[in-house]
Amino acid sequence: MSVRARPTSPHLQIYRWTITMAMSIVHRATGIANYAGMALFAIWLVAAAMGQEALTAVNFIYGSWFGQLVLFGFTWSLVHHMLGGLRHWVWDFAVMMEPGQREAMAWATLAGSVILTLLIWTVFVWAA
Amino acid sequence: MRETPITKTVIADPRSHYGNGPASTRHFITQRVTGLINVVFLGLLLFLVVRLAGQDRTDLVAVIGNVFVGLPLMVLIAIVAVHMRNGMRDTLEDYFAGRMYRLVMGLNTFFCLVVALAGIGAVAKIVFWG
Repeated sequence: MSVRARPTSPHLQIYRWTITMAMSIVHRATGIANYAGMALFAIWLVAAAMGQEALTAVNFIYGSWFGQLVLFGFTWSLVHHMLGGLRHWVWDFAVMMEPGQREAMAWATLAGSVILTLLIWTVFVWAA
Repeated sequence: MRETPITKTVIADPRSHYGNGPASTRHFITQRVTGLINVVFLGLLLFLVVRLAGQDRTDLVAVIGNVFVGLPLMVLIAIVAVHMRNGMRDTLEDYFAGRMYRLVMGLNTFFCLVVALAGIGAVAKIVFWG
């Protein structure tokens, strides 16, 4: 008598991965990241209001390699969530929903977010 | 985690419904409108961070202390906080119900309030008291 393994709940792994599904998940993930990231902006403002010492400390942390890495990720997260939101805005007018169109828009969100983020960092950080 | 299980009688009852219709429509509209306004916020955020990242306090106060930068920034931070709370609500509704939902929703409101009040308070201090 061999004991059979109990079946697990059919979850994400049973579905064929589509770009629209991936962008939907990433939209939620970036939303949560932006939710947390807004605290970083608030901390910077509060430090600036408190005085030069606090601001110097925050500038040091945000300017470190790890801080820069987080801010780069935050930039991409914000840009991706903005483009994803605009995509939803387009869908609200019941257009661009046909097969092919929605996939094209989803790929455009991904490509656009990467290009915009690299553009922002190239122009304002690396080349500045 | 559902407090009241959905039974056949509940489903058979035409008066039963899943939630508050008007509130859900308001939630939808609020999220779209605040989201669109957040595009403006992102522009201002980009300008501020590019202009002020790593700068000294005097430089920062000169830019954010300007009423035409500081006041819009305060309003936009408030709108961002509304969008944050609304959006997190969508996520929480998917995974929690009943008492647990009310608890995490309370934490959500608390976090958004703290971020908004800290951000707006800091900008107000810079604008009005330098």
